[in-house]
Amino acid sequence: MSGGRDGVSGAPIDFARLNVVAERFATDDRSTEIDIQPEFAPDRIVCHYDSGFYPQRVQSARLEIAWLENGDFSIHYHEEHHEGEFDHRWDRHPSDHNTRDHVHPGPDAPTPGDDASHPAEWRDVLSMVLGEVEARQRAFWTE
Amino acid sequence: MDDPRTELKADTDERRDPPEFDDLVPPEELVAGDRTRDDFFDAVLGLGSPATVGEIADLAGHGVDAAREYLEWFERMGIVTQITDSPATYERNQEYLNWRRVQQLRNQYDDEELLAFLEDAVERDESFAEKFGVESPDAVAIAAHATDTDRSVETVWREVSAWKTTRRRISLLERALQTDTDGTAGQRTVA
Repeated sequence: MSGGRDGVSGAPIDFARLNVVAERFATDDRSTEIDIQPEFAPDRIVCHYDSGFYPQRVQSARLEIAWLENGDFSIHYHEEHHEGEFDHRWDRHPSDHNTRDHVHPGPDAPTPGDDASHPAEWRDVLSMVLGEVEARQRAFWTE
Repeated sequence: MDDPRTELKADTDERRDPPEFDDLVPPEELVAGDRTRDDFFDAVLGLGSPATVGEIADLAGHGVDAAREYLEWFERMGIVTQITDSPATYERNQEYLNWRRVQQLRNQYDDEELLAFLEDAVERDESFAEKFGVESPDAVAIAAHATDTDRSVETVWREVSAWKTTRRRISLLERALQTDTDGTAGQRTVA
């Protein structure tokens, strides 16, 4: 909805929105730690998932969130395995390879990615992402 | 998103004791605040253009009467700016959010730390200017620059956004340092 109506442009990081996200994630059982980088003004926030949601073969998993003042965003999910890794990205921003809304699917988040249609409202975007991560986490535990 | 590959999944021993996913706060509850005020604040944070009271009520998930009340309150506080009268439309007031950020910086850091952040940011700003060969991130035409330098639009977009963030950071840090030295700590100076 917001941003991008004028085509290809950049915008500063939306500190206000990232602060709200960091506050809400801080008390949640999904994460062990929320990083705000750099400390005085986040360019993105990093949510480290509790390793208890993963089998031992997965060493760590995190979600990195960047939101711009014009509504563009890039959300990156990353898993470290004993052998290899897994990356998946949900994006809304200009590119020469995809529509503004797109995903770079796992396991290796290739460019170009797949065109997509993310929810208009920012909390719905976050909620969609958390839901997809949880679905993947649950799938680790089924046969 | 794809399910994990079979060899990554929990082995039979681990599966006996899976995590308690059902005890987690559902995503849609986690991303929302607890109070009605949060719903309206979240709604105006996401506004990229002026929106009517009805549109903001929809975004917040509350009624139009509540929207009118909160928007009037937010306007008095400086969180939103009323753009038009009939119909009444509102926009997020970035100046207020910047002011709040300046107060946070002042509360969290002393002058020496703020100065160090400022020096880093200025250095970063100069290296962007050198790299792009222009004075300001606003002077970069992203698509054209990408074609000229044979890089992707996404890469250039990322750098221009980082440059704009650096510029914003410099202005916030300068304000935080100024407010400190001229003795107007805590006073409202919304532009």
